[in-house]
Amino acid sequence: MAFLFGRSREKSAVDVVRTTRDLLQRFHSISLQNTPAVEKVANDTGRNLALMKVMLQGTTEVEPNPEQVLQVVELILQEDVLRELILNVKLLHFEARKDAQVVLTNVLRYKRPGDLAGEPIAIHYIVKDDPGLVRQFCLGYNARESAFPCGAALREALKYDAITALVLYDEPTDDGRPRDLDRIDPTVPTSEEGIFWNFFNWIHQREFEVSADAFNTFRDILTIHKQLVATYLQTNFETFFHKYHTAFIQQGSYVTKRQGLRLLGEVLLDRANYNVMTRYVQSAEFLKIFMTLLRDYRKMIQYESFHIFKIFIANPTKSPEVERLLINNKARMLKFLPTFLDDRRDDDQFLDERTFLLWQVNQLPDTYV
Amino acid sequence: MEASYQVLEELGSGSFGVVYKGIEKATGDLIDLESSDEDLSEIQKEISLLSTCASQWVTQYKTSFVRGHKLWIIMEYLGGGSCLDLMRPGTFSEAHIAIVCRELLLGLDYLHSSGKIHRDIKAANVLLSDTGKVKLADFGVAAQLTNIKSQRMTFVGTPFWMAPEVIQEAGYDHKADLWSLGITAMELAHGEPPNSDTHPMKVLFKIPKAPAPRLEGDQWSDAFKDFIKKCLIKDPDRRCTAKELLRHKFVARAGRVEALRELIERRIAYDAQEGNRELPRYYEETLYNVSPRGTGCTGDANGGDYSIDDDDGWVFDTIKPATIKQRIDQAEASAASADSNASTPTKHKQNTSKRRKLSRVSSGSSAESMLQQLDLNAGPLGAPSPSPARKPSSGLLRRASNNATAVRVPSSSSSTPTARRVSGHQPPAAAKAPLGLDMSYGNGASTMKQFRRVSSAEHCGPVADGSGGSGEMDSIAEHDDNDAADSNDVSTASTSTASAKFGLDASATAFTMSSRQDENTPPSAAAAAAAPRTKLPSKEALLGRRAYTRAVDAALAEALAATASPTKRDALAGLAAAWAALDRADPEGEFLLLRGVLERARADTKLTGALGLSGSAPAAPPPQTPTKPRESSSFAAAGPAAGPALLSPQRQQQQQQRLSEVPPERRAQRANASANANANVAHATPPPLGLAVHTQHPQARAPSAPGTPSNGSPEKRTRLVLAGDNPHLKSHHRRRQSAIAGGAGASPAPSERRERESRGAEHRDKASLGRTLERKLPGREGGDAEHAGVLGDVLFGRWIGGLGGRWQRAA
Repeated sequence: MAFLFGRSREKSAVDVVRTTRDLLQRFHSISLQNTPAVEKVANDTGRNLALMKVMLQGTTEVEPNPEQVLQVVELILQEDVLRELILNVKLLHFEARKDAQVVLTNVLRYKRPGDLAGEPIAIHYIVKDDPGLVRQFCLGYNARESAFPCGAALREALKYDAITALVLYDEPTDDGRPRDLDRIDPTVPTSEEGIFWNFFNWIHQREFEVSADAFNTFRDILTIHKQLVATYLQTNFETFFHKYHTAFIQQGSYVTKRQGLRLLGEVLLDRANYNVMTRYVQSAEFLKIFMTLLRDYRKMIQYESFHIFKIFIANPTKSPEVERLLINNKARMLKFLPTFLDDRRDDDQFLDERTFLLWQVNQLPDTYV
Repeated sequence: MEASYQVLEELGSGSFGVVYKGIEKATGDLIDLESSDEDLSEIQKEISLLSTCASQWVTQYKTSFVRGHKLWIIMEYLGGGSCLDLMRPGTFSEAHIAIVCRELLLGLDYLHSSGKIHRDIKAANVLLSDTGKVKLADFGVAAQLTNIKSQRMTFVGTPFWMAPEVIQEAGYDHKADLWSLGITAMELAHGEPPNSDTHPMKVLFKIPKAPAPRLEGDQWSDAFKDFIKKCLIKDPDRRCTAKELLRHKFVARAGRVEALRELIERRIAYDAQEGNRELPRYYEETLYNVSPRGTGCTGDANGGDYSIDDDDGWVFDTIKPATIKQRIDQAEASAASADSNASTPTKHKQNTSKRRKLSRVSSGSSAESMLQQLDLNAGPLGAPSPSPARKPSSGLLRRASNNATAVRVPSSSSSTPTARRVSGHQPPAAAKAPLGLDMSYGNGASTMKQFRRVSSAEHCGPVADGSGGSGEMDSIAEHDDNDAADSNDVSTASTSTASAKFGLDASATAFTMSSRQDENTPPSAAAAAAAPRTKLPSKEALLGRRAYTRAVDAALAEALAATASPTKRDALAGLAAAWAALDRADPEGEFLLLRGVLERARADTKLTGALGLSGSAPAAPPPQTPTKPRESSSFAAAGPAAGPALLSPQRQQQQQQRLSEVPPERRAQRANASANANANVAHATPPPLGLAVHTQHPQARAPSAPGTPSNGSPEKRTRLVLAGDNPHLKSHHRRRQSAIAGGAGASPAPSERRERESRGAEHRDKASLGRTLERKLPGREGGDAEHAGVLGDVLFGRWIGGLGGRWQRAA
């Protein structure tokens, strides 16, 4: 690293950033060829990215130069390196991809000195000048090679609600221009063709690490900016939960099921989503899903579904259909619940809740009127 | 993707789970996700860390995928084995060590330059390829620093190898790996790390206080000594980086990695000569995958009911169904027992699966809860196929115990060095697979009894072991209990079905042809395999075998686990192997031998006192006397606390009952046996688990059994102890367990208890709980919209907190 750093002194930031961009563009155009030139470009790009990384975050021994960092970040944004990087990161070599990830996250995190309360300049740039980039970040999940760099960068950006809004409300537009914040109307239901809906597929990728990463991003989208998500869920209640149930709870693998249940619990029990929750627990169809899962053959699935099931039961204003369903099953539940997950006897919270639910079920009338 | 991998034999267990060899020169690491109660994000973190490593000095990650609830991780296959394996024939020469050190430094330099800390460098985690390439493995506790300057606080690693700054929890960085490297180099030179004769617990105190270890002796060059000195500088700021150490003359002039081939060949020759290659064990689909509806959350009776009424157990149509009738006819009962039969194996899956995730102490839990997590339920998850001829060879055992395990202790509680998470690779435990596949020992006694019982049912003749010679019906009833208690074993499960039927009818005539057939038909290939081995053994033989499974074997494993020095360990392992051979060949002689030993010991008053053989032993069962003399006094700390709480009163009673029923001549022996067993438990296991074991086998608790012969549980306990806590168990140090241990219904650990008490009276009393909740319940009277807000508060207060805890956000 030391020699790299030495060279970076000589080479100016402008050079490095511009060269990287040119290399990436060139790389893109020739990547399908199988010539030594491609290899050379790949190596050169990797070297430049390594330089850029050192400029941005320094090394274990040397602190980065603050002026240089600002300069590099601004150049990267000016020269549209961000886009080139995202589009081509999957072509890069292994280490270069990791360097690209470091560069991306550092750029997206970087705030102008003296303005530490504000948003990073890259976020500002994306929201104002290039909202389509967000889409490109997400599309990184299409390839295993680009999933990590793009995912990490995206999660960095999702810390800001504007970016989350761009993901959630992304829609194909007539003029082909990506939607920016001004064109978002939160009262219009989604067409299910925005980039957000792709996450339901990405989570089902075969490679565990990719699907897990996609899930983490998905969770960030749904949990960080609560008010935004609450508005979104209220507008798109039916669409969203139908998709969610299909993708996570009824079809998914063990992992997606388990994580999906947990995330659902987290979303529903969030205070911001209170209206969503009350609407959710009115549905007998939804209740059936969790009643079935209570009898899943895997304990952790049972356990996770219990945490959703309890909301239905605890709800003081049950809808007639839910009430009827519960009453019809009252005897069975009274028989089922006392021994439900009986080996969790050191889990006080669970036991309390189970007792509570039993008591609640007991209060139900025996017949539906 | 999974189709392109074919699983071959088991290679061992790593921090991830069990490792299997597969085709394409890749190994598959298997994690049972179902056993992981916590959020899966830790596993994800590890995999994403692994997948960002591509270096010739790091074991290459290929891919990972989920199948069922198993996570498969495909890694490159390294045929040379770990450095620990390679040390089996003897320690390394200085030249070899220099090569290994250089390669390790290269690997560490790679990791450190990308902001990763391995945190568990030791010989066991250094793997060699067939050609001698050295690679770092086992990233179970590795950390990724997000910021190049950031530090870590987590107390993690394996005690002997841990750097002082890690133990002191004052923040550390990648320099900690270099300390561990120095220790590893000494390990390679001496065969064991410094302080290995000290208890790992004490080592944690010693490392920060004592001066850094030094390599001494004329056989080592000055360069080597200096290298060690440079690695083992207690102040991390003055310690060299990997890059600096690479320039050290000791490694700079090291030879080529091909020279390490010699070590691999040496080991191959050694293994061949010793004949101690284990039989390969193969991956088997678990019963989960085979029959997904094997179990439910329902109890047996429920299960029976529901399985008759409808498949799903809920009524989703709008018409109200007839009230469920409570029929207790025989058909239903048999359905119920069939259900229990079906669910038994699966339950075992769940119990046993925990074995995989024991070994690293998680950073989020308290010492008590960690102790609690020590899992008694040993058993193969992937159900390694039986290796009937398997014997615990000395090499195997040594390796097993040598693999001390990484520890992760909560950084918040510096006062909990007792939380040392120890585990041993468990050849003995694996051999005691509760799935009943391995008949060599462990299940030996009960298996034999099972077959004997068949014959006794047929001609109502011989009174089986443990029953005091009451009427034939009694004896049969006892057998039922026996079997219920023993249903640990797949093969016994169906027998208990049959006998349950039998018991219901309470008449010998009801023992129809079909049910006898049931009983005689082995439910699994395992039982069939066992059948030819089964002869009617003499009483002494049974007792001998029992003494072995309950007392000797456990005691040996315990002693082995508590011994650090390799020579002593070898000697012990040799004894264990010899005893195992004796047990196989001549259980009768074994019994006589034991009796002889005890008689002579009793003749000597001093010995009697020291060994607790006094006449009062049978009257006052050992579990109630926590101060048991043991050879490994270092463990004694755990004893007094654990002892009294070990057994539920009920169980103690049963045990006493049992003891009083046993013919006197056997009493002493059994007392001794249980003394041993309990000593084990007291030493190494947390109180709740003693309970957990029982509670997971509800049948075993059946108090209705007037004269339950003490067959099932003590044995079980012994076995479980073995698996749970061999201190040197190399294991799948995996998964932090939450205090809520998934399968183990253990009683709360002290801390939790305290916590609970502090939560107030309402929670203490279950009876008042309903009322409390009633009071809390907002929509109770009325149920209007205004209550909805209050409901929200109840939900949020009670549940969101829980959720927050459950989501271990990867920050």
